[in-house]
Amino acid sequence: MRTPSIVLGKEIRCAGLTKQFDGAAVLGPLDITFIAGQTTALVGPSGCGKSTFLRLIAGLDLPSAGSVCIGSQSPKEVAKRGALSMAFQDPALLPWRTVRENIALGAKLARKSDNGVDDLIALVGLSGFETHRPAELSGGMRQRAAIARSLVSEPELLLLDEPFGSVDALTRARLNAELPPLWRKRAATTIMVTHSVDEAVLLSERIIVLSERPATVVADLSVTFDEPRTAKLIDGHEFQSRKAQVLRALGVAV
Amino acid sequence: MQIWAGFMTALVAISLWGGAAHVFSESVLVASPSGVWAFVSSNSGLLVRATLTTAQNAALGFVWGNIAAVIMAGLVTMQPRAERVVSASALVIFCLPLVATGPILRVISGPGSAPQIALAGLAVYYTTYLALLVGLRAMPRSWSDLMSVYGRGSFMTLITVRARASLPYLFAGLQIAAPAAFLGAMIGEFTGAERGLGVLTLRAMRGLDVDATWSLALISATVAVLAYALVGRIGERLVGYAPVIILSPPKPPTRRNIWPGIAEMVAAALFLLLLWQVAMDVFQLNRFFAKRPGDVVRYLAADADARLTLWVALKETMAATIPGFLSGLLLGAGLAVAVILFPKATRVVLPVAVALRSIPIITTAPLIVLALGRGATGTITVVAVMIFFPTFVACLQGLRQAPQQIIDVFHTYGAGPVRVLGAAQIPAMMPALFASAKMAVPAAILAVTTTEWLATGKGIGVLMALTSTTSNYNMLWSCIVAITLVAVVMYAAVLWAERMVLAIYASEQLT
Ligand SMILES: Nc1ncnc2c1ncn2[C@@H]1O[C@H](COP(=O)(O)OP(=O)(O)OP(=O)(O)O)[C@@H](O)[C@H]1O
Ligand SMILES: [Mg+2]
Repeated sequence: MRTPSIVLGKEIRCAGLTKQFDGAAVLGPLDITFIAGQTTALVGPSGCGKSTFLRLIAGLDLPSAGSVCIGSQSPKEVAKRGALSMAFQDPALLPWRTVRENIALGAKLARKSDNGVDDLIALVGLSGFETHRPAELSGGMRQRAAIARSLVSEPELLLLDEPFGSVDALTRARLNAELPPLWRKRAATTIMVTHSVDEAVLLSERIIVLSERPATVVADLSVTFDEPRTAKLIDGHEFQSRKAQVLRALGVAV
Repeated sequence: MQIWAGFMTALVAISLWGGAAHVFSESVLVASPSGVWAFVSSNSGLLVRATLTTAQNAALGFVWGNIAAVIMAGLVTMQPRAERVVSASALVIFCLPLVATGPILRVISGPGSAPQIALAGLAVYYTTYLALLVGLRAMPRSWSDLMSVYGRGSFMTLITVRARASLPYLFAGLQIAAPAAFLGAMIGEFTGAERGLGVLTLRAMRGLDVDATWSLALISATVAVLAYALVGRIGERLVGYAPVIILSPPKPPTRRNIWPGIAEMVAAALFLLLLWQVAMDVFQLNRFFAKRPGDVVRYLAADADARLTLWVALKETMAATIPGFLSGLLLGAGLAVAVILFPKATRVVLPVAVALRSIPIITTAPLIVLALGRGATGTITVVAVMIFFPTFVACLQGLRQAPQQIIDVFHTYGAGPVRVLGAAQIPAMMPALFASAKMAVPAAILAVTTTEWLATGKGIGVLMALTSTTSNYNMLWSCIVAITLVAVVMYAAVLWAERMVLAIYASEQLT
């Protein structure tokens, strides 16, 4: 049993967070505090506002009302320190850069050293494709390159928007096993949007289930298993009961 | 392959030309290939020297004009609020009719090559500026999000992402600019230079020397095509990847308050008037030829005859400009669409189109007018030819930018090429079409005034030429103001149409 590492002053506090587009409410009001060093999964129906939520936390959009505070700083200030990174739903690779250059860009933009690039390339299974350009990769390979780019700057706050969306089941299982220790080792606060309930239960220490648009919190569950977690957990009773809880919150009959 | 196609086209063109010369042998219109050959071989030394002079001036103007364009586009991208004032000033300066600025620059600078270089620079900076501006904005939102996530501002985004992403657009602009610089340098030479192809052309036209006119037209066309091809080749080398595909969600049209826009326009106008006045005072230019805004107002207010003369000339000019402008755009876009529908036609159409646009308008204008008469038809044709090619190239680029995924979706439903065209490719072409329309406004005015001056003897072009030779500088400056205002109004009309259409199709181009 691992004690959640509560680092005071680095938690993410969303207070009364609301977003409207052209007067139509898309999100909130949300009052959520993400505990530092924890991995939180966000699940919810498509179009409910999950990406919008992540964009507000990243400071890419401004809330219509309410606020986001990371420790004592605003998202923009955290971004300026190079302590934030995000893997988008769309991989957003630059077509004129090779895989290696695209991944190293994450370190360069955050003003960090790019020593870890080669290890990460191996980890996401892109060895041998370092000098390929994005146009020569498959959709899943592009997504893996984008994940590697988000990790290379060793961020304090990691935002993942459906990071494994178009990755095959086998690679997905491997990444599920290998990536979480990586971000936990660095005590990164991770917020991950996923459509896979299995993945949410397996990877996170907390699951927040959101309602239909405008998104509000339907359920807030903590997930504790013996560490390190392995794929064997999935067959266990505890795992299945957690999963059923999430599915019920999503309105799926179990 | 392309070289082969170009060669075949040239061969066909020469045989057609030989045939035409045979048929029209009685007229003074078409030189025969043998006549041209005789002229070129007996004047080869002179022609080589003249070509080198003009090419050198054009190259210098090309460099300076494009440096200015890059600086302005970078500035506007980082400071979008400056766009209106910068763009409006750039546009107005670009719309100043070369037919009038040439003589004035000549009076100011005396003999030498300064006016040629200045006119070549003036002929290119605006096209490059617009193309680059489109390119700097043609960026998926996720790329700028990526930069913000790492807390990087607009300058870092400009140099790491936008600059590189805009390269294909920049080279499309530079490619069009290369023949334009040549044309600008030639017009500069008309104003009393000692050497150059422009000087020889003017002399040949005045003497109605058909062989010489054709030879010079061919030489200028060849140089222009070579410059075009060279820039294209360098671009291919440097860009080296398939152009970026833009998939950004369309924004619903927002009813923006128009007053801030109008305020910005007024600010730009005041800024330009101030610039005009201050520049002349600072350089202590002689009031006799360097009129200030106040002089023009006083002159037009006092003299009713002058107002009438100006109005009549302006009407004649517009009667050719508007139809020529519209038909040039329509022809360019239409041919681009045709080429997409019948890809095999590219090989024939492209070399012909390159040749047509690259032949400096100066040398074709008198020939076209001779062929079609001094009425509006001749001038309209010259304008259409001038506008056609940049529009065609830009639209073709736009059509080819249509996202392949979307086209694929249509194909999986068995949609034919026409459906795909309407649903995916034409929308992708719209930003390019409007960028061309904007560039076409000053080009149309340049073509009309030059044709009027050299060939038809009508309209404001000839009024400007007359008044600069009779030293009626009050009227000359009034003409400049009038024609510039017309250009601004036409430009505003294009902008308005663009807002309407792009609001639906390509929201990332709107700021
Ligand atoms: N820029 C925008 N302008 C207007 N509406 C928007 C904008 N961005 C998102 N929306 C709307 O906000 C809602 C939430 O979008 P969001 O992308 O956050 O959904 P999501 O939960 O991430 O969905 P998915 O799981 O499908 O990715 C959607 O209904 C969308 O139409
Ligand atoms: Mg989403």
